[in-house]
Amino acid sequence: MSRTFNIRYAKERGFAFIMRLSLLICAGILTFLLVSIFVKGIGAISLEFLFTSAREFGRSGGIIYQLLGSLLMVLVAILIVVPVAVGTSLFQYAFNTKKGIAYLLEQSLYALNAIPSITYGIFGLIFFVNVLNTGISWFVGSIILAIMMLPTVTLSTYQAMTAIPKIYQENAAALGLKKSQIIRRVTLPQSLQGIVTGSLIGLARAIGETAPIMFIATAFSGVSVPRSLAEPVSTLPTHILELAQQSTDPQALQNAWGASLVLILLVSAFSLLALFARSYLRRQGRK
Amino acid sequence: MRSLRGLRKLQGLRLYALACGTVSLTIVFTIIATLFLQSLPVLMAENTNLMGTHWNPGKGQFGILPMLFGSLFVMSIAVAVAFPLGLLAAIYIAETRSSKLRRVLKSFLELLAGIPSIVYGLIGVAYLNIWVADLFDLQSGRVILTAGILLGIMILPTFLTLTEDAISAVPVKFRENAKSLGLYRHEVFFSIILPQAKTGIAGAGLLALGRALGETMAVMLVIGSLDRLPKPLLNPLSSGQTITSKLGREVPESAFGSVHFSALVFMSLIIVCITVTLTIVSRYLFRKTGADV
Repeated sequence: MSRTFNIRYAKERGFAFIMRLSLLICAGILTFLLVSIFVKGIGAISLEFLFTSAREFGRSGGIIYQLLGSLLMVLVAILIVVPVAVGTSLFQYAFNTKKGIAYLLEQSLYALNAIPSITYGIFGLIFFVNVLNTGISWFVGSIILAIMMLPTVTLSTYQAMTAIPKIYQENAAALGLKKSQIIRRVTLPQSLQGIVTGSLIGLARAIGETAPIMFIATAFSGVSVPRSLAEPVSTLPTHILELAQQSTDPQALQNAWGASLVLILLVSAFSLLALFARSYLRRQGRK
Repeated sequence: MRSLRGLRKLQGLRLYALACGTVSLTIVFTIIATLFLQSLPVLMAENTNLMGTHWNPGKGQFGILPMLFGSLFVMSIAVAVAFPLGLLAAIYIAETRSSKLRRVLKSFLELLAGIPSIVYGLIGVAYLNIWVADLFDLQSGRVILTAGILLGIMILPTFLTLTEDAISAVPVKFRENAKSLGLYRHEVFFSIILPQAKTGIAGAGLLALGRALGETMAVMLVIGSLDRLPKPLLNPLSSGQTITSKLGREVPESAFGSVHFSALVFMSLIIVCITVTLTIVSRYLFRKTGADV
């Protein structure tokens, strides 16, 4: 009797121990990541670093054009994707009556989400750069990033639409509003928080992407602000990639850490904005 | 007259929505069709030894086996690192039931899941590969093991949160009943929680696998880029190549339309097929548990 009890007790202690240990290891690894990026990055960041252009292939100088290039590309991407995403979820929500098509659309959005980012780069290289003959262009990069964001923004918008209480529609219909008026006065305003949050989450993901744009939209050095749609830009992730490949050079590595910290701060800023937008707009919508 | 205008507006909206739906639906098929069409040249070409072990574009040999093996090997190491750690930590977080600790940890994990892969690559280059080289006394730390560990760390936050969700989704009353019967924590977990949460955990695992397979930048920087099978086959301390790192390195060097380019596109098609299948299966598993992803 007491023997079996002891074995059970020992197992309990052992289980508790390895659970605590794994949590500790996980927390340790992840804290190390954040702290090392932060500590290394802070040392590299200064006003000069943020607001001057790169010199000596990124070894010295700053990241102003990389910063502008990254922001330009993702902001244009979001302008491209939002109308399509809103239209798609509107189609799914208000117009599509066929279950089969709804299922197919949903699955293909999830499939789009699953495609590895490098494949988007290859697709862009084949379809835009070579078949449509656009050349290396930041605008093509924006289109590809828009395609990558499409599932996130669409699903977020669609979820917000389906979460609108049925009674809102019924009230609007009872007041004699036409279907088009209901869509414009009820459905779209009420799903605004889904659109905004989805876009911000999409932005946070897109700004850190390297693989989809490195073949089709970026050049490493000698790039400033593009004057036309068909010019390459330089972005933070591709800049870090180039610097990481010269990792034996402490100066280059230092700048890579600085650029990484700036990139992570941008990503976190978008994610935090998404969090606030969700709670703020949700409260507004229910007023 | 008024109603006619309303109708026209509705038609406009309907057309707009229909157009957007069509675009969204066709994108994924366009991507797969494009990849397939561009893979045809290498499938039609003769003597390419596609399933061989030699990759030598100069001689027209495109054996993809080393890359395929490298991808699977790196993925297995990543899984061996991330799954036990993530699962045990997730149990602990979920069973502690301190909502404050949970919230803090969850937001922390989401922050980590958002770190771009290139930054993980930088960490691999700056720290991990040096540590591995020192530990095993290697000339260069750019080996399969380094890539595997780095990838394991990358998928850890995603796997941990999703697993924690699956475990937390098991109703509290089951736990309470089991505890009131005097069961210990490991008994509660293995006989009550696990049977109910296992589809959700499996879904999280498959999703993480898909991420690991498709990851490019971090792997590319630390794997050493050697297009040969390791010798002996299961030696994690030799340099290697995964499909994605191969694509990242060689696509810019290959000429569009050549058999070489086509071989690369074919590898990309393989990876797409695997990751899309994994995601669809994991979606199915999540739906079975009713968890929302």
